Amino acid sequence: MSMVAVRNLRRNPLRTVLTIAAVMVAIIFFVTLRTVLSAWTAGADHAAKDRIGTRHKVSFIMPMPRRYVQEVRDIAGVKSVASANWFGGKDPKHDREFFATLAVEPKEFLEVYDEIELPAEQREVWFQTKTGAIIGDSLAKKLGWKIGDKITLTGTIYPGEWEFVISGIYTATRRSVDRATLYFHYDYLNDDPRTPQSIHDQVGWIVSRVDDPGRSADIAKAIDAKFDERDIQTLSMSERAMNTSFIGMISAILKAVNVVSLVMLGIMALIIGNTVAMGVRERTHEYGVLRAIGFLPQHLAVFVVSESVAVSIFGGLLGIMLAYPLVEQVLGRWLEENLGGFFPFFRIDPQTIGVSLVLAAVLGVLAGALPAYSAMKLKVVDSLRRAG
Amino acid sequence: MIPISYNVRSLFVRKATTIATALGIGLVVFVLSSAMMLSRGIRNTLVSNGSPDRVKVLRKGSDTEMASGIEANTASLVMAAPGVKRDADGQPLGSPEVVVVIALDKLGAEGMVSNILVRGVPPQVMKVRPEVRIIAGRPARPGTDEVIVGKGVRGNFKGLELGQSFELKKNRPVQVVGIFEAAGSSLESEVWCDIETLRTSFGRGSSSSSVTLVLESPAAYDGLASYIENDKQLGLEPLRERAYYDKQSEGTSIFITVMGVFIALSLSVGAMIGAMITMYGAVAQRSKEVGTLRALGFSRGEVLLSFLIESSVLALVGGIIGSIASMGMTAVDFSMMNFATWQEIRFTFDPSPGIIIGSIAAGGIMGILGGFFPAVRAARLSPIVAMRQ
Repeated sequence: MSMVAVRNLRRNPLRTVLTIAAVMVAIIFFVTLRTVLSAWTAGADHAAKDRIGTRHKVSFIMPMPRRYVQEVRDIAGVKSVASANWFGGKDPKHDREFFATLAVEPKEFLEVYDEIELPAEQREVWFQTKTGAIIGDSLAKKLGWKIGDKITLTGTIYPGEWEFVISGIYTATRRSVDRATLYFHYDYLNDDPRTPQSIHDQVGWIVSRVDDPGRSADIAKAIDAKFDERDIQTLSMSERAMNTSFIGMISAILKAVNVVSLVMLGIMALIIGNTVAMGVRERTHEYGVLRAIGFLPQHLAVFVVSESVAVSIFGGLLGIMLAYPLVEQVLGRWLEENLGGFFPFFRIDPQTIGVSLVLAAVLGVLAGALPAYSAMKLKVVDSLRRAG
Repeated sequence: MIPISYNVRSLFVRKATTIATALGIGLVVFVLSSAMMLSRGIRNTLVSNGSPDRVKVLRKGSDTEMASGIEANTASLVMAAPGVKRDADGQPLGSPEVVVVIALDKLGAEGMVSNILVRGVPPQVMKVRPEVRIIAGRPARPGTDEVIVGKGVRGNFKGLELGQSFELKKNRPVQVVGIFEAAGSSLESEVWCDIETLRTSFGRGSSSSSVTLVLESPAAYDGLASYIENDKQLGLEPLRERAYYDKQSEGTSIFITVMGVFIALSLSVGAMIGAMITMYGAVAQRSKEVGTLRALGFSRGEVLLSFLIESSVLALVGGIIGSIASMGMTAVDFSMMNFATWQEIRFTFDPSPGIIIGSIAAGGIMGILGGFFPAVRAARLSPIVAMRQ
């Protein structure tokens, strides 16, 4: 019987096509927003469990003494340790482009971040070039930098003009890695007379790899306990916990995106409901006939609801089919290249697909409910009396 | 011309359809207008910090106070620069300040911390920033561990309430003795303490993050700016306060605007299709009426116009509903991190006549675009065929 109902859709092809288009647009949009949300949290979900970040207890913008790095290395269970400093460099030629610039100790850094892939010969060149820097492939593509290029960055925290030579271009094996960062030698920064005395021999944060991910919480505690009585205390947590706390700071935006994605579904339900209601109104006479030949009110409800569910599921499927190339190829590629810091991996989560289809079906039922109710309520005599 | 009352009555006849379509458009207008109000709120909150007769001095190349640092002797040289206003005692009106962002526990969200900006201020700060007023408690006494808290963050974080205390860092508790307001600016999302307390707590020696100067008159800026820029030894960069805060709010406010417009555009596609379906339905249902109208002598153009008017009336009703609903957002506080400073600031949704009219107009445009093809179909109906139906 549902199949008969679905055939009803052919009676007003223009309206059906428009409604399906509306559902499709709604689903594409819904999938896009959901992907924004899941990509934003991807950093946390894919963060390494065996890494612990340590920062100044009061504020992440305050540096810690460099000797802390060695002390963390001595803690039992810690395999390797690296430090990083936020350099805040800007390319005067690309003033509007933002990318992260970090000063690191190359060997230790690549040991701790083993998901960063750098060809062996580039690795050697970088280790030996004090002004050498490596950049992610998406940054290289965006700014057109090649290996061997000499570049000059203006420091916003460390005053002056700083010259670098590109020693290598890295790629990543894990999704949470930003492929638009520039890494260079900590020694270059620290040995330079331009570095203010107040931040000499200081590191921004420390990252340690532990042997056993299961013990990372205990080791984080051990690190903080070691510095508890010092002038500068630390705050250590697993990389995952750190990313989660960053997401907390933009939670208001995430909430707003969430609300908007639901608004879209609301609009979709209104449109489907309107289409179905128009159909019901036009077919009042037929429903009278159906009742007169023995169909029950609930049969009419099945007619109406299956029509609206068919529209919503069909539109939903089309939407998902279009969303894939649109989100992953067009939008995703652009975001990964330009906003890699926020969206290192902008891909549709399979779960989103399931959720959208289920929601489309549920909304189809809801949208059909009111028109179905009015169809059930019709008195046979009245509806027969109404022509068309 | 076909009277508009004909269209309005037709809309009334098909109540359910009219309401569903108008609500769809209303939701889009609601989202659009809320995003615009938030973007305006962000700008106003940050830019209203700026006064035309104040100048902010940072280390050259620094984008924000946070990244800047100025040594004590440089700071006093700048304060003595020509064009800086002096008070009755002949002291220059300038305020060297230290800013630090600290993490505090958020109330109402278990285990969440967020960043609060703490500003170390000298005793003369109230003369430099006369818009700051204590609204509860009393001012902090200079040289003590007393702090005052902006009303925007009061009570949102652990310890940030009158009479409570919190730790600047381990074993360095400070006491909240007053609550201040600052004409709705982002200063209201800060905590202020004595500059020396902050310097000693964080080993800043005698340096400061920025110096805020009061000009003799707004016109004195150029002279002061060239004085500071010409002295390469200083290594400083002056910026009109308004320009500084404009820069601070730029990123976040553009982000919200772009996101809001993008979202509203995507949503409007759906709403326009909704209007199209409704109007096609209306044309189909009333083709007999259209035929009659044509037979009475109304031209194709008049029929077209009439249906366009009908769909824009429909959309305007939705736009007005959405716009009124979005005014409800003014009661909502939106706490968010400002990208430029990593500091959590409480923003409000700030309506303006332009935003309200603009978003209702956007609704009307959706109606016209969505109603266009149905109206064309109505205009092209042949009167004879239509009446025979």
